[in-house]
Amino acid sequence: MDIKFDRFAAVLFLAVGLLCVIGSRGIASSSYGSVVGPDIFPLILGILLMLLAIRLFYETFQASGSTEKKEKLQYKPFLIIFIASLLYILTLETVGYVITTFLFLFVCFQTMERSKWVTSFIISAGFSCFIYYLFVNVLKGTLPGWPIWFS
Amino acid sequence: MDTIEYLMNGFGTALIWYNLLFAFVGVLIGTAVGVLPGIGPMSGVALLIPVTATITGGLPPEQAATSAIILLAGVYYGAMYGGSTTSILLNTPGESSSVVTTLDGYQMAKKGRAGSALSIAAIGSFVGGVVTIIAMVLLAEPLSNIALKFGPAEYFSLMLLGLAAVSGLAGKSVTKALMMTICGLLLGTIGIDNVSGIARFTFDVPWLYQGIEFLTIAVGLFALGEVFKTILEKDEEEEDIAKINNLLPSKEEFKESVGPIARGSILGFFIGILPGAGATLASFFSYLTEKRISKTPEKFGTGTIAGVAAPETANNAASGGAMIPLLTLGIPGSGTTAILMGALMMYNVQPGPLLFDDHPDVAWGLIASMFIGNIMLLVLNLPLVKVFAKIILTPKKYLIPIIIAISIFGVYAVQVSTYDLLLLLACGVLGYFLSKNDYPIAPLVLGLVLGPMIENNMRRALTITDGDYSIFFTRPLSLTFLIITVLWLLVPVFMKMKGKKVIINVEG
Repeated sequence: MDIKFDRFAAVLFLAVGLLCVIGSRGIASSSYGSVVGPDIFPLILGILLMLLAIRLFYETFQASGSTEKKEKLQYKPFLIIFIASLLYILTLETVGYVITTFLFLFVCFQTMERSKWVTSFIISAGFSCFIYYLFVNVLKGTLPGWPIWFS
Repeated sequence: MDTIEYLMNGFGTALIWYNLLFAFVGVLIGTAVGVLPGIGPMSGVALLIPVTATITGGLPPEQAATSAIILLAGVYYGAMYGGSTTSILLNTPGESSSVVTTLDGYQMAKKGRAGSALSIAAIGSFVGGVVTIIAMVLLAEPLSNIALKFGPAEYFSLMLLGLAAVSGLAGKSVTKALMMTICGLLLGTIGIDNVSGIARFTFDVPWLYQGIEFLTIAVGLFALGEVFKTILEKDEEEEDIAKINNLLPSKEEFKESVGPIARGSILGFFIGILPGAGATLASFFSYLTEKRISKTPEKFGTGTIAGVAAPETANNAASGGAMIPLLTLGIPGSGTTAILMGALMMYNVQPGPLLFDDHPDVAWGLIASMFIGNIMLLVLNLPLVKVFAKIILTPKKYLIPIIIAISIFGVYAVQVSTYDLLLLLACGVLGYFLSKNDYPIAPLVLGLVLGPMIENNMRRALTITDGDYSIFFTRPLSLTFLIITVLWLLVPVFMKMKGKKVIINVEG
């Protein structure tokens, strides 16, 4: 257990709870003759969350220092894949499904393991075209297929 | 005999060719999900919801719901079969409910008895599955009739009980689990309020008006979260797969496993019905029970067949048992059933006591298809277990990016919104950090699914009494549920104080 993370999370959740309580006070407190309005539920939840966050914060002081060994995390491939996913998402609608998916998969395959780029190329091309064909032609769904400046 | 007639109709639905195909695809993918370590039943089901939604798009709504739930449930119980394969052959459980199987299963494989361990696991799973389906058929009508008498106050308390049960057993820290539950409930309040039509926590962003989509959250937290975990904590070691020699167990092995299978089915079923206690807990309990009543408890852990038969039967029985509260009461008792419930609600089918009256096709079709699916799994697993064992050799290099691509495709196909994709990615990162620090995710999804229903029932109950909260304590059934809720949360705390070990349930 990472105590720092827990403390940070406790403060964050406390803030979220507080914001919910404040936010729910801005919501109408009754609706159509019922005394129980849409504000009650979020209000109760916000208070509960704050109480739990305080309890968690208290618990972090009780916990004995963790002796967990640090495992080595592979940050580099993760960051590349994360950024690739982000770019993929942002360009999906303008550049279209086939090209973005192909590029995304190819980049990720090579990031995971730098070998056999021909196989990676074939699999990513095959996957993107197959899904697109299946979805649009067989299942009649809508996907942005090709770059918008094409059509 | 109404039930028999309904069941026959159910078989009629389940035997339509495309439903057979859906069941088959479901159990096939389920087995694969079970075999692959890193993808549990929860992320498997979450990942497949959008895919099934697109495939069933051409069918009329009710049939689409039936077919979709047949496939998704198939993934769920199929994963229970698949999980044993890697536990036995590799000593790595494919999903958490097969952790106990590694104790004896891997030892058996080391001694060259992998074949009999695998086939007993498959037979046990089959028996466990069938027993729960029969129990489900018998219990469905009476239970839903009782549930029909519930008023909003009872429902509210019952749902609180469900949430408390899941949070109480969900992870190392009850506080964290409860926080996740509350967060799920809060996320559920975003959007336009169903009763009054007032927008809550939307900050005038049109995208938020229809609320946070459950699908996006579930796929992000479970599937992407696990994928990110695999990328970040990549381990290079390659393990050898034990050889499978002869598949048929000997007569003694059969005799030895009859008892554990019978006890495992019943135990697993009852644990499965309990909200919060899922397949993992069931397999632990049945293993411990077998060890306790065995004449030779010292043999456990060295490769005894009973140590494989009992937990594998129990986890399958439990996964069937967990469907009962979902279908009859409309209350999911675990993360995976919460996702199944979300899937049903996407099709406008509300699980609960009315399900058997309003959508008999869906309910009975599902039950019948579970029976067919279990037969398929038995047939698939016995001769083809060698093929499935090969799935584990799928290089992660290709698997991981394809899972990301499928998640993104699936969410986009259903939601058609870039915002949802961004939320999906954020949930993936969040899911990784939360589960790494012991914040269980299942309660959050459960809260998100149940949130609007809890709120509606609470407000209906309070509207009846004009704002008097005592309604929850004066109605006997409601009070009983609330007392159990409090006990459920407090008893483990006291047990911990006394220094007793509390078994926790980690699913997915």
